[in-house]
Amino acid sequence: MDDLRLAWKNLWRNRRRTLITLAAIAVSITLMQAAHNLSFGVYASMIDRGVRAGSGHLSIYRQGYLQDRDPKLGFNPQNLAAEISRLAGVESVLPRLYLPGLAQSSRDSRGILLTGTAPVEEYRINPFLRKLPATQMIREGNLRDALVGQRLFEELKLSFGGKFVVTLQGQEGELASELLRVRGIFTSGIKDIDRSLVLVDQHRAATMRGRPQQIHELAIILKPQADERWLLDQIGRLLKNHPQLILVGWQEAMANLADAIRLDYAAQKFIFLIIILIVTIGVINTLLMSVMERIPEFGVILALGAPSWRLQRMLLTEALLLGVIGMLLGSFGGSLATWYLRIEGLDLRYFVSSSLEFGGVVFDPIMRADWDLRWMLKMAFYVCGLALLAAWYPARKAGKISPAGAMRHY
Amino acid sequence: MLLTLALRNLWRNRRRSLLTLSAMVASSALLILALGVFSGMFADMLASGTEQYHGHMVISARGYQEDRDLFRTFAPSDINLQTLEARPEILAAAPRLRSFGLISHRTQSEPAELLGIDPGREARVTTLSQKLQKGEPLHAEDQTGALIGSGLARKLGIDIGGELVILTQAADGSIGNDLLTVRGIFASGDRHQDNALVLVQLGWLRQLLVLPNAQHEIALRLGEPLLAAPLADTLATSLPAGFEVLDWGDLLPQMRDAIAAYDVSRLIMVGVLYLATGLGILNTFFMSVLERIREFGLLMSLGVRPWQIRLLVLTEALLMGLFSLLIGVSSGLLLTWYMAQVGVDLSDYISPISYAGGTILPRLHAVFIFDNFFIPALLLLLISLLAAFLPANRAAKLHPATALREG
Amino acid sequence: MKKMLFFGLGFIGITASTALALDLTALVREIEGQYNGRSSLATMQMEVSTAHWQRNLQLQAWSQGRDQFLVRILEPPKEKGVATLKIDKQVWNYLPRVERTIKIPPSMMGGAWMGSHITNNDLVKAARIEEDYRFSLQKEDEQTWTINGIPKPDAAVVWGKIVYQIEKKRRIPLVVDYYDEQERKVRRISFDQVETIGNRTLPLRMTIVPQDKADERTVLTYQQLIFDLELDPTVFSLGRLRTP
Repeated sequence: MDDLRLAWKNLWRNRRRTLITLAAIAVSITLMQAAHNLSFGVYASMIDRGVRAGSGHLSIYRQGYLQDRDPKLGFNPQNLAAEISRLAGVESVLPRLYLPGLAQSSRDSRGILLTGTAPVEEYRINPFLRKLPATQMIREGNLRDALVGQRLFEELKLSFGGKFVVTLQGQEGELASELLRVRGIFTSGIKDIDRSLVLVDQHRAATMRGRPQQIHELAIILKPQADERWLLDQIGRLLKNHPQLILVGWQEAMANLADAIRLDYAAQKFIFLIIILIVTIGVINTLLMSVMERIPEFGVILALGAPSWRLQRMLLTEALLLGVIGMLLGSFGGSLATWYLRIEGLDLRYFVSSSLEFGGVVFDPIMRADWDLRWMLKMAFYVCGLALLAAWYPARKAGKISPAGAMRHY
Repeated sequence: MLLTLALRNLWRNRRRSLLTLSAMVASSALLILALGVFSGMFADMLASGTEQYHGHMVISARGYQEDRDLFRTFAPSDINLQTLEARPEILAAAPRLRSFGLISHRTQSEPAELLGIDPGREARVTTLSQKLQKGEPLHAEDQTGALIGSGLARKLGIDIGGELVILTQAADGSIGNDLLTVRGIFASGDRHQDNALVLVQLGWLRQLLVLPNAQHEIALRLGEPLLAAPLADTLATSLPAGFEVLDWGDLLPQMRDAIAAYDVSRLIMVGVLYLATGLGILNTFFMSVLERIREFGLLMSLGVRPWQIRLLVLTEALLMGLFSLLIGVSSGLLLTWYMAQVGVDLSDYISPISYAGGTILPRLHAVFIFDNFFIPALLLLLISLLAAFLPANRAAKLHPATALREG
Repeated sequence: MKKMLFFGLGFIGITASTALALDLTALVREIEGQYNGRSSLATMQMEVSTAHWQRNLQLQAWSQGRDQFLVRILEPPKEKGVATLKIDKQVWNYLPRVERTIKIPPSMMGGAWMGSHITNNDLVKAARIEEDYRFSLQKEDEQTWTINGIPKPDAAVVWGKIVYQIEKKRRIPLVVDYYDEQERKVRRISFDQVETIGNRTLPLRMTIVPQDKADERTVLTYQQLIFDLELDPTVFSLGRLRTP
């Protein structure tokens, strides 16, 4: 306790130096926390959006389907959807079919991907559909309702409620055609999707395919705090009865996005490493300076019989205090910045004119931060540890002081 | 005189000077390395997006790129390739003809784009016809050879030496059909190219389409792709009426935005890093001034003017800055050189990433860009001077009498 | 459009105008199947004009019922031997120059057949008109019946309405207009050059004009028509496609 009070007093003996060092530590931490939480928030929302519009946090497919997305590899989910939805942490289970085909209007024709879904659930979960008004939703049980992508709607010169015919190749190679009507339009921002996606009720798609009970994908959407590992295990157990099915996480099903995020975090880590290195060198310098100018004083203390490890301990305490206070100040600043960026966000619409696609998902031009508390705590721990580490060399120097020489030193 | 004094002052407290130097060297060298690698990633992305298929810039009849209308052609004599290549900024030019048709092998048929190329010229502008997963590039004499994407090859169940039946509608309305042999398979990473593109001989396609002496576009490779936009404007004025020049930013607006975003984030990175550095060295400079207060007092009482004292401190800072700059930049150069030559292969951990229409490969490498050296160097000097500003003021404001009494 | 080609394949010439209760569906079926018969063999000329080119093809066509037909190009020499075979809903093309047969995949069904204003899809959807449409008499005067064909609610057809103008006396079509659901005319097919072949009276020439490209057209003219002949069923097989 004495040490603490002494260390505190020592630090404030040279106010300017201490303040500048604290500023260096605090500002660096604030900036790093703000930057990291911003990326964290942006990626969390991208993952969330990608997962909900795409293959879910976890997805179930038939073996071999993911290689080429061969429409022939479907499976009958039986009770799986219901069983999985009962598990804790599961928000929704979405069935999907993906069938390449042709859409024709009285004016033109285009290649499309007919996507079968469970309309009510899909509207609840899918971020592209959530903002559509109720009048544009596929009605449950209505097998002629279809949602078309913005560009497709324009290219085929369709109208709301207007009809078009979809033709595709069934399981046995025969051609199946059905009449569909435009119920609504959606815009994803990704050109390929807006040009080729037609969303219908899964029963329509499955029947056209010639296998009314089968789907291609079960996309499992998890609640925010779900225990992914436990769920992987549980669902794995359920799948034991279905040997031809596999369970994949989004990192595998959307490898592009997962890798893109990993790369960006790696780049960020590198830059942060450099910043921490600089700050640590600065702290070493500061502590060293404070030792150097107290050499005569240390000499007296040592001459009075104090062991050198007492001196070192005091130095370490000073360093720790610097680290902790700097960390607290920095975290406070970082939290403020995160709080602001979470509410207001960073609006990049001025810089980014078109929809920017990263790893297969569209960037929301308004970047919002989110709290990555685990990382922030880790960072705080590291900084304190580094502060202690920075004190190693100066403490060693202090340990080598001989009282006589010290008192002579000026 | 000032210089020697400054140098001596720095040398007096070697350890402190060295530590400060090390901080500045580390920050500048590592920053230069980081910028080099990031620029490498973006160069990869730009290259993959443009150099495989689009080229850096493309000349075509006005409106062609909008709808790719078969009939919007022009003659080779309309635009002279040699004249284009005579321009220093343009490294190579390649003519192309494009059509869409049905490609068939045994029982499988798929629609695809047929791009007629001059293999020799095309190889100097884009890489797709050369970088093959399997097989060989097209030779000039091989009129019935074709290169197809890996996805298309898989869908058709075809391999090297396999036969393709081509069916399309010619420009005179007749049914164009012919056989081609697959000579090579490419895998670009781009979904459209891999699943729906067939590279064929320009002469062969002209015959198939009954479009003798016609082409749809000229693709260009530039020495400085990042300067494509202004060049496009200049070039457009020298072309006959009815033509337009589009640069990669027009063809791939996403990529243009991504690179612009990177430029901004690059500046932010530099700023943040140097802010931390600046705060770090601020203490050092203050310390070095404060422990010499008596000395400064002595100097001033001997007639040295305050502005000279300030200059002295600033010069010390500048010298520090210059030294660290020299060492930092040369270390940065070395590190960048290593990363440019050898690089780091992360393919085991990361797969190729699609971004803004291009691909970032997990084989990280650095590129040499002047700004990546110049900006960190310049800012390092600036930071040194800025950090010395307050301490220099402090020194200059000293009152000789009080100064002498201090210490 | 599908039915239009089938216009060229058999006309059950019930010219006796015993107009009792006018059975519209039967009438339209007659019209649509006017070139069908049980089987048929025809020689025709197809002239296609588009904004960029003009072509003349000489074709020979066989049909069996409404589900099988084979068309071969006789002229021009460059395309001689090119054939289209349709069996039920599948379409193949034979290319003599390279001696290969290609199956038309679903994504190409919207494409033009032989470069004309008829699509591959028209061929496939052929001649099941009464399954997809309901007919009503819109107007009747001295000379003509005007009949509306409205698609049944679930019919997989792109049109909003088809309007037939039929000459009462000889029960032959004059004009057929195709509308989208917003009642905009998209295509018009007109018939003329009426002749009597055997006991059938039918127009030998049909002209297809897309309404948004008024200077384009496809004109199909029958030069020879034989009905209800005995056809070897192997005529409509892939194997026979190569060797006529």
